[in-house]
Amino acid sequence: MYRLWYYLRETVLSIWRNLSLTLAAILTVAVSLALVGSSMMIREGAERATAQFQQGVEFVVFMNPDADTDQDAAIRHVLDSSPAIEGYTYIDKAAAYDEFETLFADKPELIESVTPDVMPPSYRIVPVDRSAGNVNELANQFAAQPGVREVATATEAIRQIDDFSTLVSQALLVAAVVLVAVSALLILNTVFTAIGARRQEIEVMKLVGASNWFIRIPFMLEGTIHGLIGAAMAIPVLFVVDNEVMAFFQESDAVPLFRGFAVPEGFVWDTSIWLLILGGAVGMIGSAVAVTRYLDV
Amino acid sequence: MIRLEGVSKVFKGDVTALREVSVEIQRGEFVFLVGPSGSGKSTFLRLLNREEVPDSGRLMVAGKDIGEMRSWKVPYLRREIGYVFQDYKLLSKKTVYENVAFGLEVIGRPRSVIRKQVPAILDLVGLGTKAERFPDELSGGEQQRVSIARAFVNRPLILMADEPTGNLDPSTSVGIMRLLDRINRTGTTVIMATHDRGIVDTMRRRVIELDRGVVVRDESRGVYE
Ligand SMILES: Nc1ncnc2c1ncn2[C@@H]1O[C@H](COP(=O)(O)OP(=O)(O)O)[C@@H](O)[C@H]1O
Ligand SMILES: [Mg+2]
Repeated sequence: MYRLWYYLRETVLSIWRNLSLTLAAILTVAVSLALVGSSMMIREGAERATAQFQQGVEFVVFMNPDADTDQDAAIRHVLDSSPAIEGYTYIDKAAAYDEFETLFADKPELIESVTPDVMPPSYRIVPVDRSAGNVNELANQFAAQPGVREVATATEAIRQIDDFSTLVSQALLVAAVVLVAVSALLILNTVFTAIGARRQEIEVMKLVGASNWFIRIPFMLEGTIHGLIGAAMAIPVLFVVDNEVMAFFQESDAVPLFRGFAVPEGFVWDTSIWLLILGGAVGMIGSAVAVTRYLDV
Repeated sequence: MIRLEGVSKVFKGDVTALREVSVEIQRGEFVFLVGPSGSGKSTFLRLLNREEVPDSGRLMVAGKDIGEMRSWKVPYLRREIGYVFQDYKLLSKKTVYENVAFGLEVIGRPRSVIRKQVPAILDLVGLGTKAERFPDELSGGEQQRVSIARAFVNRPLILMADEPTGNLDPSTSVGIMRLLDRINRTGTTVIMATHDRGIVDTMRRRVIELDRGVVVRDESRGVYE
């Protein structure tokens, strides 16, 4: 108990003595983690918006929920035998319902309004030739089959969303990685300065036989706290991104698919927890390097 | 208590600080380490404290092989060795009381122990009334007493002093030597590096003389020479 008090006192004193460098380190952590989080959210949003069209799937054949087995078998036969089809995945009613549940996890009233029964089973199809003309031609052929409710194609728009969001999230991620490295260096520097400010105390501590961890912990704690405070400051940014930026896309009529560009509240909280872990880790690693390099215990 | 068997220490640039030193020191002895500047006295002490590692030979302190010792164990060795310096190494922002208490705090001694032992040790070194002073409000001799108090407050087996009277005038030095003698009488082994001829000659204790890293003399009731 007393020891805990000692560590906290030393840590707070050290942060106070070193305020400007500390602020720089914390703000850099905050900015870099805000970018990491935004990147994760944009990627997640885009994935949800285009969930059906992943891994080369170019069009989806939705069956009538009450299509009979003969109709279903006929479609399956075409898919299995056609040389124009590379592969496909079958999503049955239960799986479709599961996806629906996940996608609208924060809209329970919507989930309550449907049952697995009314969900259309679907085939997600990867064609051999992915050019728009060929995809449209195939889609039309399937649309004419009995039992098929509708066929949705991965239009140019989807590809653009995908490309755009990949580009944005990757650019953010690259910037974030650079900034995370910078913040680790800044934390290292802060801790280095803190060690310098306490040179004499450290010398005496070694002299009288303070254990290595007793000497290290206040410094490691200091770096870790910088990381955690920075992460805590980045979390509100995630909610702004969720409520303002993503909402802007959802409400724009320009591209209908952007309406699905959303992440559930739970995802924002999960991301926040990841940011805290990441911030703490960056702080701990930065200070651990400083401690092992400059403390010599 | 302490045994060196053919211990050598060579620094970068080929400086041989100690060469094939073999010495045995019993529990409760008072030993002067003498010799000109650069003869290896400080290096001798720093080896015992594991601030330096011997390049060859065997070094035993309190039954433990110091050369082989894992680094995480070193702090526990140092708790058994009080160390006093010419420049005191006191923390200027702490009071006398806090300086001494610091030595116990950072090795995790409970507060109740600290509250009991610090005033007792300050009385022993004759600074009972100056507990709330800061180091720069004290004379050199008083500062050295604080540093001895800090080194001894944990009741170590060994007290090492590296030229503790180097900055003090002769009469103040006598007081410091009385204090070290008193500590020695409690059963604590005292090793003191010095080139203060007067002190060595009056005390008439064991003298180990070093010259360019070699033990050239080891007498049980010696003089400076
Ligand atoms: N850390 C070191 N690096 C290089 N040389 C050193 C170091 N410490 C001591 N020496 C050298 O070792 C020799 C003995 O030094 P030291 O033990 O300090 O002697 P003394 O205490 O008797 O004056 C000297 O030549 C000194 O320059
Ligand atoms: Mg010396």
